[in-house]
Amino acid sequence: MVRTTVVGTYPRVGDTHDEQALRRAIARFDKGGVAEADVRAAEREVVEAVLGEQARAGIDVPTDGLVPWYDSQSHIARGLAGIEIDGLVRYFDTNTYYRQPVVRGAVEWKRPILAEEWTFAQAHSRAPVKAVLTGPVTLASLALDKHYAKRRALALAFADALAREARELVRAGAKHLQVDEPILTRHPEDLALVRDCLEPIAAEKGPAELTLFTYFGDVAKIYPDLLKSPADVIGLDLVQGERTWPRLLKTGTDKPLALGIVDARNTKAEEPAALAAKVRQLRHSVDLDRSYLSPSNGLEFLPRAKAREKLGILARTAKLLEAKR
Amino acid sequence: MSGLQTTSVGSMPKPDYLLHARTKASKGDLDLKELRALEEKATTEWVRFQDEIGIDILVDGEQYRGDMATYFAENLEGMEVSGLVRSYGNRYYKKPIIVGELRRAGPISVDWYRYAQGLTEKPVKGMITGPYTMMDWSFDEHYGSREETAMAFAKLLHAEARDLEAAGAKIVQVDEPALATRSDELPLVVKAVGAVTKGLDAKTILHTCYGNYVDIYSYFNRLPVDQLDLEMSNSGLDLLDRFRKDPLRKEIAFGVVDVHSHVIETKAQVVERIEKALSLFDPQKLYIDPDCGLKTRTVDEAKAKLRVIVEATRSVKAEHGLD
Repeated sequence: MVRTTVVGTYPRVGDTHDEQALRRAIARFDKGGVAEADVRAAEREVVEAVLGEQARAGIDVPTDGLVPWYDSQSHIARGLAGIEIDGLVRYFDTNTYYRQPVVRGAVEWKRPILAEEWTFAQAHSRAPVKAVLTGPVTLASLALDKHYAKRRALALAFADALAREARELVRAGAKHLQVDEPILTRHPEDLALVRDCLEPIAAEKGPAELTLFTYFGDVAKIYPDLLKSPADVIGLDLVQGERTWPRLLKTGTDKPLALGIVDARNTKAEEPAALAAKVRQLRHSVDLDRSYLSPSNGLEFLPRAKAREKLGILARTAKLLEAKR
Repeated sequence: MSGLQTTSVGSMPKPDYLLHARTKASKGDLDLKELRALEEKATTEWVRFQDEIGIDILVDGEQYRGDMATYFAENLEGMEVSGLVRSYGNRYYKKPIIVGELRRAGPISVDWYRYAQGLTEKPVKGMITGPYTMMDWSFDEHYGSREETAMAFAKLLHAEARDLEAAGAKIVQVDEPALATRSDELPLVVKAVGAVTKGLDAKTILHTCYGNYVDIYSYFNRLPVDQLDLEMSNSGLDLLDRFRKDPLRKEIAFGVVDVHSHVIETKAQVVERIEKALSLFDPQKLYIDPDCGLKTRTVDEAKAKLRVIVEATRSVKAEHGLD
C-alpha cells in the first residue's frame, strides 16, 4: 500500500483566534512583554496541533511542521559555529524570505539543534515523525560565504556538521530523516556535489530511512543519476517539476520515491480520483508499495485551512489507490 | 532643480488608533465611514510629516491598504482573499486568489491619490502594485497560465495608471517586488510592465527589492520605466560594482536605510551611502529614499529613518554645493 508523508513545513498560524496564539506570543516577546520560554511553549502547542491535523488526515509519516524554524536556512545555520545571521533574502521563487547565514569562520557542529524539537514531536505522535535537515549544498548556495572561498569546501563542511546532527537525531530515536536539496531544481549540475555531501550523512543514519527531497522545479535532466544518490528514498516535486513526470513514466526505478503530486503552492483543490489515476500509470515502473505520496513541497505556502484540505486530498488519493488494487 | 531629491517608497506604519480601528472594522464593530475618517486622519498626518521634514516627493503612506497585493485584489472582480500565509518570521499576509475573469469595476487608488495630493503642494506619487507581482503573489484557480494572468492584470492596471494621470499624477510608481523571483520570466516582466506604462505622460518608476540583482541586472536597462527604485542597504550595497562596470541608463532612487531593522542608521552611515551613490550617479538622476516601504517599522522608527535620510541628504548637498 502506498504510504503518505509530508515534505516538512506546515502553516504555523491559521485564521481563527486560537490558531494565532503563536503569532501573538512572538509579537509580545518582540515588545518585551513575555519571556522566550512563553514563545517556546506556544510553539509546542502549535506542534501538537499540527501533528494532530496530520494524524486526523491519516498521514503515515508526519513532521513537526518545522514550526520552531524562523526559516529554512537560518534555523539550522544559527546553531553552527562560524555563522552569523544577516538580512532578508527571497527564498527561491516564493514570496517568502530567509535570514541569510553569513559564513565568517570554519563551520562546525557545536550542540544538538533539532534533537529536542524532534523528541517533543515524537512524544506527541503515534506515527513516526520525520526529522528534516536543510541540505548542505542548498545551505552553502544560499549563504554568503566570507570564509571558504570555494562553495564545495563550504558545502562539505555543512555536510559534516549535518552528519553530526543526524547522529543526534538517530540517537534520539528518529526512524525517518530527510535532507532537502531544492537547489538541484535550479542547478542540476550540483548533483555530484549533493551526492558527495550526502555520504557523511548517510554514514550516520543507522537504521533510519533517509530521504533526499528536491522541490520547486523538475529534475528531468538528472533523473537517472539522482536515483544513484546514497539515500533510501528520493522525493520529487511533480507539480512545479512536472517535466520530471515523463522521465519517471518511461524509465521508472526500483528505488522508493516520495511522489509530490499534490500542489502545495496553489489553493486549487485537486480531484483525488484524477490524482489516483495519474499515480496508477506508474504501477509498472515504480514500486508504489515502498513509495510515498506527498505534497509537492512544504505546505507552509498555503493558508492553514487549505493545507488541511490538501492533507485530506493526499490521504483520499492514497485510499483510492489502495481500493482499486 | 538641484538634484539629489528625497522621496519614499510607499507604505508607512499605521498609528495605533488606525490599527485598532481596522481590527474593529474587520469584526463589524466599526462602520466603514468611521474607518475612512481615521484613514484620512492618518494619511493627513503622514503627508504633513513628510512635508514638514522636507521630503521632496511624497507618498500617501498607504494607510488604507492592508497589503499591497491584497488591496488591489479586494478591489478587482474575479478575486478573493485567502487566509493568512507567512511572508517571513512573524509577518503574515492574506494572499489573493484568482477565482474568475479579472475585471476592474472602476478606479481603485485614484481617490486616495486625490486626497493626498490635496494636502500638499509637493508632488505625490500614484502607486500601483505591478502586474507581475499581482500574478506571482496570487493563487490562481482560474487562468492556469502565468503569462495570461500577468497580462490580464496589466490591462487593468494600465487603465488605473491612465486614471491616476487624468487625476493629475505626474509620477506613477509600479511596485514589482516579485521582479527578481524567476530570472526566466524577466521577458514577461518587461512585457507586462510595458503594457501598464505604455503611452503614459507621467514619469514612471519601477520599485523592486530583495532579490538577487546580479542575475537580473542585464534587464535593468530594458525595463520600460524612467526610474528604478532599488533596495540597496539591506543587500550591503553589493550592486555598486556592477553599476560601475555597466552603467544604468535610467534615473535611480537609491535605498539608504534598511526597513527591516529596528536600528536607526546614523547620519554618518547614511551620508556614506549617499556619497557612494553620488560617486556613480549624476545628482540630477539620483533620488534618496528608504530600501522599501516602512510599514514594518513602528511610527517612531519610520519617522526617525525618514529624518536621518533628509538630514544626511542635506549635509551631502551642502558638501557638494548642490543646494
